Amino acid sequence: MTPFELVEPASLGEAIALLDPEDAGVRPIAGGTALMLMMKAGVFRPTRLVSLRKLARLNARIAATSDGALTIGAMTPLALVERSPEVARIVPVIPRAMRRLSNIRVRNVATIGGNLAHGDPHMDLPPLLIALNAEVKVVGANGAQAAERMIAVEALFTGYFETVLAKNELIAELRIPPQGRSRAAYLKVTTGSAEDWPALGVAVALESEGSAVKSARVVVSAATEKATRLKGVERLLAGATVDEKMFARAGDAAAEEAECMTDVRGSAAYKRELTRVYVGRALRQALNSDGATR
Amino acid sequence: MTRTISFTLNGEQVAAEIKPHHNLVEVLQREFNLMGARESCGQGMCGCCTVLVNGAAVSGCLYLAAFVDGAEVRTVESLADARTQALSPVQEAFIEAGAFQCGYCTPGFLLMATQLLEAYPDPDEEQIRHYLSGNLCRCAAYPEIIAAVKLAARRRKANSVG
Repeated sequence: MTPFELVEPASLGEAIALLDPEDAGVRPIAGGTALMLMMKAGVFRPTRLVSLRKLARLNARIAATSDGALTIGAMTPLALVERSPEVARIVPVIPRAMRRLSNIRVRNVATIGGNLAHGDPHMDLPPLLIALNAEVKVVGANGAQAAERMIAVEALFTGYFETVLAKNELIAELRIPPQGRSRAAYLKVTTGSAEDWPALGVAVALESEGSAVKSARVVVSAATEKATRLKGVERLLAGATVDEKMFARAGDAAAEEAECMTDVRGSAAYKRELTRVYVGRALRQALNSDGATR
Repeated sequence: MTRTISFTLNGEQVAAEIKPHHNLVEVLQREFNLMGARESCGQGMCGCCTVLVNGAAVSGCLYLAAFVDGAEVRTVESLADARTQALSPVQEAFIEAGAFQCGYCTPGFLLMATQLLEAYPDPDEEQIRHYLSGNLCRCAAYPEIIAAVKLAARRRKANSVG
């Protein structure tokens, strides 16, 4: 890796002042697992990294409210989220998805904030958090004033490794709203080895009443340039009767709607077929789970 | 841009002069002559560079050395008894089960297996496979490695009862 300056500010104001909205060579670093890969490959050669480890505002914490909302500090390592009893109770789909997210060592170090801020469309949590209707609290500067805003995870990604975050903005925390009677599933397909980046990720969350779907959120990732909701599929599902025909129709509609891209993990045509099959499977898995969000 | 970091290394208070872009494996090898953690895939996937930082396993090749300032670091070299040099139950079990061929990946497997038994003292095969799924053995000694973990678990149990 090429040399760089590493600064470890202790206050948020200091951290934001050390970031530079105009300089792509200056970036925040949290756990660093993803950035280290980019730096080792030489695709990212920073001049300065601003460590977020000493910022109390972002620190590792998981809190649940009595109505079932979760707040997770941006610097919380994925392994803590994976092992949290509150997370397991409120959104068990998250620890289930974590089992196939990289490996234990990476989950011990990678953080929930970094996972989202990186904007990598191959990651597992962004599509799932979009399906769960999560949002992030973002802190930054507005002139000399500290400023914060809430952004839906759905609106966070603008393209391949691109987000709406300014270069001097930081994700402070993740909020997952109460899931009520909604049920969720996340499936991914790796076409190389099991630990490879996926060719496709599918996240669904839906509510059903009797034999009808009330509402659904369907998200695809990895095959597309960013994690993307399939709103046409969601409209098709609202009010539909739960049966095998519905799974097949939703799969067909998803293959039509998803803008799949060709890369080393498969052609666009192949990923469309994967989407067709896996959207149906994800819906079936969500509906077969026992009431709580899975 | 050199800086001094201080940390506990295998139970001993140490300090090292490092640069911000040095990773943990480089510093352990260069400054402390500890060769157990070694870089292989360089991408956090193979586990040859496993190091424990504050009790959690990390990929040393993806971990900035600067981040261990003030931390407690353990490497495979700490598994054997410091005074008697007696091997740990996991190390003994790996030898008995023949759980390696070239041995390059063994330090990482030993540390991860030790962590695994801390978390799950009586693991079933699925737990062992899942926990060790982030470690690669290019000689494919996987059946023997799984047997070694089961053997170590039985030994630990017998020792704690006895």
